Amino acid sequence: MAGIVAERYTGASIKRSEDPRILTGAGRYVDDIKLPGMLHAAFVRSPLAHARVLSVDLSAARALPGVVAAFTGAEVEAMTVPGPDALMALMGASGPSPEFTLLATDKVRFVGDPVAIVVAESRYLAEDGCDVVEVEYDDLPPVASAAFALEPGSPPVFANLGDNIARPHSRTEFGDVSATFAGAERVFDFHIDVHRHQNVPMEGRGCVASYDADLGVMTVYAATQSVHVSRIAVAMRLGMEHDKVRVLAGDIGGSFGLKIGASREELAAAAAARAVGRPVKWVEDRGENLTASGQAREESFDVRAAVSNDGDLLGLDVKVVIDTGAYPGMGTMVPSIMQEMMPGPYQLVALGFESTAAITNKASYVAYRGPWASETFVRERVIDLMAKDLGIDPVEFRRRNFAARTDPPAMMITGRPLVGVTSSESLDRVTQLVDVPAFRRRQAEARQRGRYLGVGVATFIEAAPGPRSPDGPSGPMGMESMRLRLEEDGIVALFTGQMPHGQSHQTTLAQIAADEFGVPFDQVRVVVGDTDVVPFGLTGGSRSATMTGGVALHGARQLKVKVLDFASHLMEASARDLQITDGNIWVRGDPASAVPVSEVARQAASGQFADVDANLEVQATFDGGEGGWSVGTHCAIVEVDIETGLVEIERYVAVEDCGALINPAIVEGQIRGGVAQGIGAVLLERSAYDQDGNFQSATFMDYLLPTACDVPRIEVEHLQTVPLDADVNFRGVGEGGMIVAPPTLVNAIEDALAPFGVRIYEQHLPPARIVELIAAATAGR
Amino acid sequence: MDITVTVNGATHSGCVEARKTLADFLRDDLDLTGTHVGCEHGVCGACTVIVDGRPVRSCLMLAVQAAGSEVTTIEGLATDGGLGPLQQAMWDSHSFQCGFCTPGFIMQATAFLRAHPDAGERQIREALSGNICRCTGYQSIIDGVLLAAERSRQG
Repeated sequence: MAGIVAERYTGASIKRSEDPRILTGAGRYVDDIKLPGMLHAAFVRSPLAHARVLSVDLSAARALPGVVAAFTGAEVEAMTVPGPDALMALMGASGPSPEFTLLATDKVRFVGDPVAIVVAESRYLAEDGCDVVEVEYDDLPPVASAAFALEPGSPPVFANLGDNIARPHSRTEFGDVSATFAGAERVFDFHIDVHRHQNVPMEGRGCVASYDADLGVMTVYAATQSVHVSRIAVAMRLGMEHDKVRVLAGDIGGSFGLKIGASREELAAAAAARAVGRPVKWVEDRGENLTASGQAREESFDVRAAVSNDGDLLGLDVKVVIDTGAYPGMGTMVPSIMQEMMPGPYQLVALGFESTAAITNKASYVAYRGPWASETFVRERVIDLMAKDLGIDPVEFRRRNFAARTDPPAMMITGRPLVGVTSSESLDRVTQLVDVPAFRRRQAEARQRGRYLGVGVATFIEAAPGPRSPDGPSGPMGMESMRLRLEEDGIVALFTGQMPHGQSHQTTLAQIAADEFGVPFDQVRVVVGDTDVVPFGLTGGSRSATMTGGVALHGARQLKVKVLDFASHLMEASARDLQITDGNIWVRGDPASAVPVSEVARQAASGQFADVDANLEVQATFDGGEGGWSVGTHCAIVEVDIETGLVEIERYVAVEDCGALINPAIVEGQIRGGVAQGIGAVLLERSAYDQDGNFQSATFMDYLLPTACDVPRIEVEHLQTVPLDADVNFRGVGEGGMIVAPPTLVNAIEDALAPFGVRIYEQHLPPARIVELIAAATAGR
Repeated sequence: MDITVTVNGATHSGCVEARKTLADFLRDDLDLTGTHVGCEHGVCGACTVIVDGRPVRSCLMLAVQAAGSEVTTIEGLATDGGLGPLQQAMWDSHSFQCGFCTPGFIMQATAFLRAHPDAGERQIREALSGNICRCTGYQSIIDGVLLAAERSRQG
């Protein structure tokens, strides 16, 4: 299946090197790992949102044939070391520190909270064991909403905090907020809600943990976005030195932010493996995934906007309350990013931003593709609402308020330069592709026939990686490392801390390195997923295109210098006269001098060269270069059936600028996949709790995902980018689709329902809700 | 219970627990881990295999129910050292990302194309609407199936 040859790989839709194994069932996911003597874990989980745990009786479970061990939360605590959430610790998150345990001990804090672990010869037997565990609970009043959580009398979910504040209230002002609002011709007030929904990768969380007592080494096969972050968590909680923990990962069945580090369950499974002296596998089932893996969003916003009568957007004053669920996680970190991104590509005179994060008895808040995305939803929604009231076309409203691309660049009021931002071009192009005037005529004609079509646009910018800060010494996303080595057989091996779970890094990074080094694509190997051999890294935040693409480019360049330096001794030519093309090293102008790279590699490995550096390996780092923004505007045309509330997406067009493309087919896959998740978020998906904190969507019959009949063809066009860096202008494209699709769709739906006077202040619009909105709007007339 | 089942042309006889699903039997007893388990309640389609010519959710079928049947899994599709025509078309179309749903889609589409070689996009989308992919937005998968159908019509 080899033989992919191209003049230049970067920029071409090279077929993925991951696919031959994936298409034949030969991929190796965590549930495919089978170790000798391996046991299976299952968890006893809380059926209650909030309760004291009075007793846990494991005796019946322990007596079951096939059950090898069972541990209560207290027993797991005795086997481990207390510690914070690894991701929060890594990111230096500060604020209130709830005291909690891997498995519940004193209290359960959400439906699905793990209480005990049962380890047995098979998953079937482990679940049998869970069924006979007796847990005695004493109900506590559930804290089922952020509003109740913030009431003075609400029962604290964590006793040591004394209240339910996950992140203390804070307010920041940029520019003169009060003067801007006092002087504005118009001030609008909106309340906007974003509902709880979740990642739902097709493969849930899981691990296989194996402890070698003789060596004192713990090996964990994980499904993770970062083997190193997982290792930090395992080492910390198991009280082990980092070098005694090895985390390995193979193929990963999606994540979208869910699988960062090791979860409480994975850490408990590792502790159990060490205690019983046999490998333990835990792979969550779909019920566990939906109930307990974590959820995202559920934010409510109060937005004030100051504008002129002509539609100049002057100021925003935004207050957000985040429902972070029970245990610490991403929810407390999101407000800072929202605040920074709130202005988007628009020029504001003033911005006020206030946030509070509340602890509730729901599953914990996790990162989900574009974790701060609600700021874009709110901004793009509010723009349409205001444009309507001002009688200004929403496209024109946006165009009028985009910061101009100037030199020096305009600054976001929150501090970053809007350098190379092509929002205006993307808006112009998308509306041209859709031909909005022609659509308006068709829309008017359709309304005559009782059919309701609508068009909506929304625009986003994504810091992927973001521009180089004028005063910062390092790049926008820290550093990225890579080790590159010319192997003895001539393979160029790239060791990266990226942990792909669908992003195709084994293809894209090889494309870049093959071009830069001068070997065929198939001669580059991208090695991932082993803490013993890859440098620190994390796949997330749309960082890999720029950061890892960049370090692959610069690293391959450095390795090439080193290889040519060595080859110059073999070939008796100056390194400056040597070049590498198609896997051969040759003296410029003398094709007959060509020596295969593999031959040079073999010679270097022979150990014959005492005075020459024959170690053909480099450790490269990259700071992001000049960085830059990913930008885009999306446009949807929808038809709403006002009887059933069903929304059909007639057309969806994305115009994007994500810099120089590494592999257009892979880029477009990321965009379409993100848009599909946005479509799901608006039309289908909701992580539903009742007023007592009971989870209502624990199966795929209740938590509805979009299917092939729900997602239309998504047209993608790429804009010519504004290059900022001499070498690296690839930008991340992982999150933009999910960030901008929800406002695009909601704007289109509201436009379709304009004849009824419907105004939409929420994101989740299943058919029943659309029917309600129409009824409410028409009843008021 | 003792069962005999033919999987990818090879006959297997053995004793399985009555409650064991076909998916777990394939994965655990036969080490055919290409069949993936995505929801265990018959919605996502990741575990689809072909039983006696028909696509079946192996998480909803017990192993004992497959006794005497012929089962084809993703491992049974590839030709000697290469990809089958649908797999090749999906590679050419950049159909998948994380790959977890892939075996189910391929088995479902294989069974569907056999019965409906002239199917168009709408029919293909409906036929695959019981399989969930969280990564791609489906377009690349549909394009792969359309390409395979077109190639097979051209012989």
